[in-house]
Amino acid sequence: MRGPSLRVVSFSGLALLLALGTNSAWLRTQAGGEPRIPSYVAWTPESIHEASSGDAFRGSLLVKRCDHCHGDEGFSPNAFMPNLAAIDRLSIWKQLEDFRTQKRVSPAMNPIAATLTPQDSADLAAYYSMLPVTSDPQDNRSFPQNGLAPAELTIASRLVSIGDSHRGVPPCQACHGPVGFIHGAASLAYQNADYLLNQLDAFAAGTRANDINMPMRTISRQLTEPERQALAHYYGSGRGAHPTGATIAQ
Amino acid sequence: MIPTTVNKSAKKPSSILRVIYFLLGILALVAIVATRYNQIDVPLFNHFRSPNRVDPATLHLAGEFVENNLGPTQEADGSVTDRMIAQQYLFVPYCTVLPAGVPIHLRITSADVTHTLKIAGTDYSVKIARGVITQAELQFPHAGQYDMPCSEFCGPGHYAMHSKLIVVPKEQFQTAGQQACEAGSKTNGNDKQQ
Repeated sequence: MRGPSLRVVSFSGLALLLALGTNSAWLRTQAGGEPRIPSYVAWTPESIHEASSGDAFRGSLLVKRCDHCHGDEGFSPNAFMPNLAAIDRLSIWKQLEDFRTQKRVSPAMNPIAATLTPQDSADLAAYYSMLPVTSDPQDNRSFPQNGLAPAELTIASRLVSIGDSHRGVPPCQACHGPVGFIHGAASLAYQNADYLLNQLDAFAAGTRANDINMPMRTISRQLTEPERQALAHYYGSGRGAHPTGATIAQ
Repeated sequence: MIPTTVNKSAKKPSSILRVIYFLLGILALVAIVATRYNQIDVPLFNHFRSPNRVDPATLHLAGEFVENNLGPTQEADGSVTDRMIAQQYLFVPYCTVLPAGVPIHLRITSADVTHTLKIAGTDYSVKIARGVITQAELQFPHAGQYDMPCSEFCGPGHYAMHSKLIVVPKEQFQTAGQQACEAGSKTNGNDKQQ
């Protein structure tokens, strides 16, 4: 019995030493102080599953409260309010969660989102993501807007297609479509100009700060005011539905 | 002289003990495989995890890469620790001010895919993988401005993925701070428009 018990003791001692050693190194990497958290949403497999497993029929019943501002068909009558038709589920769910947890501040949306559960948000997201984007003459919608000047088209299509590498501004269409998408980046193809300009200005000023790892705050600060207006008018005119290329940008 | 016969049976455990050891080993293997396969969080395993591993999905919630902890920090020994996040398609923070002639510990991780931070004009090139903190030891002999592009294809926005590094003299590091960044970005922006 002497052999095995010695072995067990020496092994457990070694394991203890290893555990203590790695544990101290583990603790050293943790930051001190109070972290500033932009959003409680994290794109883990669980949250992605929760956001994308909503019931669209239940969403169609909940959506009666949203119609007044966001339109019967997901297109707002007022260009200050966002269109939600065909926005992907993850983006809508994340924004509703951020409104609910006060991470995105809006006097109108915070009290509404406070009454929702994460499941309600997922159901609403499922409903809006299914709405079509085809035009409807009988619908009272403000999209698309006019007012894209030729000079703005040049500026915007350049930023949308190739960005500006001298200032670290990536092309919009690489994350917001139609060329590429990332989690939580909504499609801008059918978005209203005034809403987009408000959000770009809010990101640049830091009054909207719910972007995970700060991409939109970083980018918006690099853009000048005329560039933000050009981008808002570009998407508001409906041109964002198709990928743009360097031929337009020249 | 090597003995030809060794009495092994004296040191061997009894057959019952051998069976118990064997079963314990099987049980441990099954437990490890089952917990890993079902992704059950076992606190004991975290003790043996590398301290350089992070969850790329929760960088913004806790740990050293929360947003108010990014950028350069002065250490007690005079060196500087600079923390950054690489993501599609930008480095955060975009512009960094660092002192010249001081050891710099760059700690950087990726939130999505593999990137490479290249510091143009130097030999430094730092590969950044999802879920892993890369620590690079840098030192810049002279003050100057460096472009830091991503040199590993990471998606359709890769070619615009650039960030900026401004190296200032050591004595100006505390005072210059963010002003150098803002002044630099303005001139850069004006140059672009002309």
